[in-house]
Amino acid sequence: MTLNRDRLMDVLDKAHKGPIVKQFDWDTRVIPGAIADKLKKYGLQKTCDPANPINQNLELADRFFEAGLEVATEVGMLCTDTQRAIRYSREELLAGLAAAPAAFTLGEGKEIAHFQHRSISDPVPPIWVSPLSIAVTEDVFEPLVVGIAGVPEVDCLEGPSFETIWGAPLRAGSPYELLAGKMQAERFYSAISLAGRDGIGLYAVGTSPTHYGVLGGYGVPGGYKPERDIVLVLSPVEIKTSYENLMKLAHAYNCGGQTYGGSWSMIGGYAGGPEGAALSCIACTIMLYNVYQCVNGASFPYDLKTMGNCGRHALWALGLVFQALSRHTHICANSVLNQTAGPVTECLLYESAVGMMTLSVCGTSSCTGPRTAGGKFTNFITPLEVKFAGEVFKRSSGMSLSQANDVANRLLPKYEHELGHPPKGQSFKECYDLATLQPSDAWRKVYDTVKNKAIGAGLPL
Amino acid sequence: MDKQELLAQLYESLLDTDPEAAATAAQAAVDGGVDAMEAIHVASEAIAKVGDLFECGDLYLPSLMLAGEAMKRSMAILSRYISAEQASQSKGKVVIAAVAGDIHDIGKNLVATMLSVHGYEVIDAGVNVPPMEIIDAAQREHARFIALSALMTTSMPYQRDVMDLLREMGVRDRFFVIVGGGPVTPEYARLIGADGWGVSAVSAVRVCDRLLQSNERPPVKSTFLQE
Repeated sequence: MTLNRDRLMDVLDKAHKGPIVKQFDWDTRVIPGAIADKLKKYGLQKTCDPANPINQNLELADRFFEAGLEVATEVGMLCTDTQRAIRYSREELLAGLAAAPAAFTLGEGKEIAHFQHRSISDPVPPIWVSPLSIAVTEDVFEPLVVGIAGVPEVDCLEGPSFETIWGAPLRAGSPYELLAGKMQAERFYSAISLAGRDGIGLYAVGTSPTHYGVLGGYGVPGGYKPERDIVLVLSPVEIKTSYENLMKLAHAYNCGGQTYGGSWSMIGGYAGGPEGAALSCIACTIMLYNVYQCVNGASFPYDLKTMGNCGRHALWALGLVFQALSRHTHICANSVLNQTAGPVTECLLYESAVGMMTLSVCGTSSCTGPRTAGGKFTNFITPLEVKFAGEVFKRSSGMSLSQANDVANRLLPKYEHELGHPPKGQSFKECYDLATLQPSDAWRKVYDTVKNKAIGAGLPL
Repeated sequence: MDKQELLAQLYESLLDTDPEAAATAAQAAVDGGVDAMEAIHVASEAIAKVGDLFECGDLYLPSLMLAGEAMKRSMAILSRYISAEQASQSKGKVVIAAVAGDIHDIGKNLVATMLSVHGYEVIDAGVNVPPMEIIDAAQREHARFIALSALMTTSMPYQRDVMDLLREMGVRDRFFVIVGGGPVTPEYARLIGADGWGVSAVSAVRVCDRLLQSNERPPVKSTFLQE
């Protein structure tokens, strides 16, 4: 679905004529005030139930959606460059959601990925977009992408991203980033061809912290292809946009491309606890689909304390957000899963097992991940955890919320104590043979061990 | 109101994270004959309590930011009533910024507020700030510390640029530099020659305290690291 010009112009108009809101007021009064008010109004305070990390009460999810729609209507989305709020009426927001497609495709040829709206416990397997834009060195990019593209569960690619460009540090917002946008596309196309997956859809541009990477790499000769690849528009928290985001949007329009709208809310951040973060995510998702006309994406919660979303509170909020979106919209919602541990650790795979299962049963259409080791370390991403996460994501489709909750409660005690200080593990170079693209015996053994324990806990792997 | 009631009012206004009420209470305290240093001591106790509540998860980021603003507003009043000698008891100025290319502000805001509530005077230079602007601000403000936040690997090179610029400009010995942010590791902090690195906002305060207590001049011999 290409972008509608009238809606785009309306967004730009609102970004320049909407009500003035200073960012400090937005962060300290507008957002926390609206969240607190709606939590109270809809009786959502202290509803987080860590003993049941996957919410079983769908009426609660329904109330969260109604409250989220009210938050979105009341606050809108702040444009940080103009310090004005982009606001719509409730009817306009619902019309914007209705205009989003219930299905779309990325990629081409035999690699076309068919995204579709999913219901809770939907038996149709979701789409696995992998990995996140974790920084890697230039020598690692190709073997890693070949290895990841070789994982059959992977439907589309987003990362990794480059740490340097032709040896120079990649500086955000600089000419280096402009060059990196196209370089990444070229390296991707080369690597996926080597992997025999030429048509696989790409999320553009992983190496684009500002708009420059997208301007340099999407829709330019030799760059990402608008007819098969999608532009990432990632909004800053809390429910904000910026000229950088809006320029990506304008560029996607110019190129006839589709957009992905993403954001997040931190538990312990501007929106407060798990209930506030969940509510903020729902409101933000409604705004993303209206402001960016996106075909895919959503805002997802994670925990400021662990910088991940595989602990009990974050899982509860994560599941609830996507239950609410699944039941009240027909969008193709995408979440991100943020793991904290690194490769060759059981913790990483347990985080993936519980997190991916949660997303699968709660109605996400797709997930982007993993964020191995929290994305903190260069070259800490390998094809094996990508494979494991994809297996869980697809094969847990069709599980009931109750079954998934039982599995989560069996597996969480195996790793939740490590989330505060997650094990770093090993880098791709340390635990893989880069020539054969085979994992070390130790990494394979960890994979087999956790997989067997996950099966024993009830995951249908 | 007697002095104890005035001090209690100031304490409560800060616990309520209400900047307007804190400013009013601070003015009322000095007008009512409360010694400004005593009021500052009480305000510091209140703000330390706010910090504790945040660390325990009983308060969230917006309240912490409002508490920081409340402290700033009350200090602006109280500091007018103390001597220059007393004023020098502040731990020192910190210029903090999310470096160029990085618009993520949560981590920066957290550190800024925690430093503020622990007695540092914080100058927030904002997000997406070019290296030279950060140094200009530090020089203009006669800062003791420069604190640099980066949440992306692609903004980390700008932390290094600040270090390089400080050395090339011959002013490296004027500022302690601390760095942090999601992908910023202790190894990277050492590599670029930062004086300190912390894993969290609380760690950042401890790092700054340790740097002050070290009696070293920047750059320190080995980077202070705080988990």
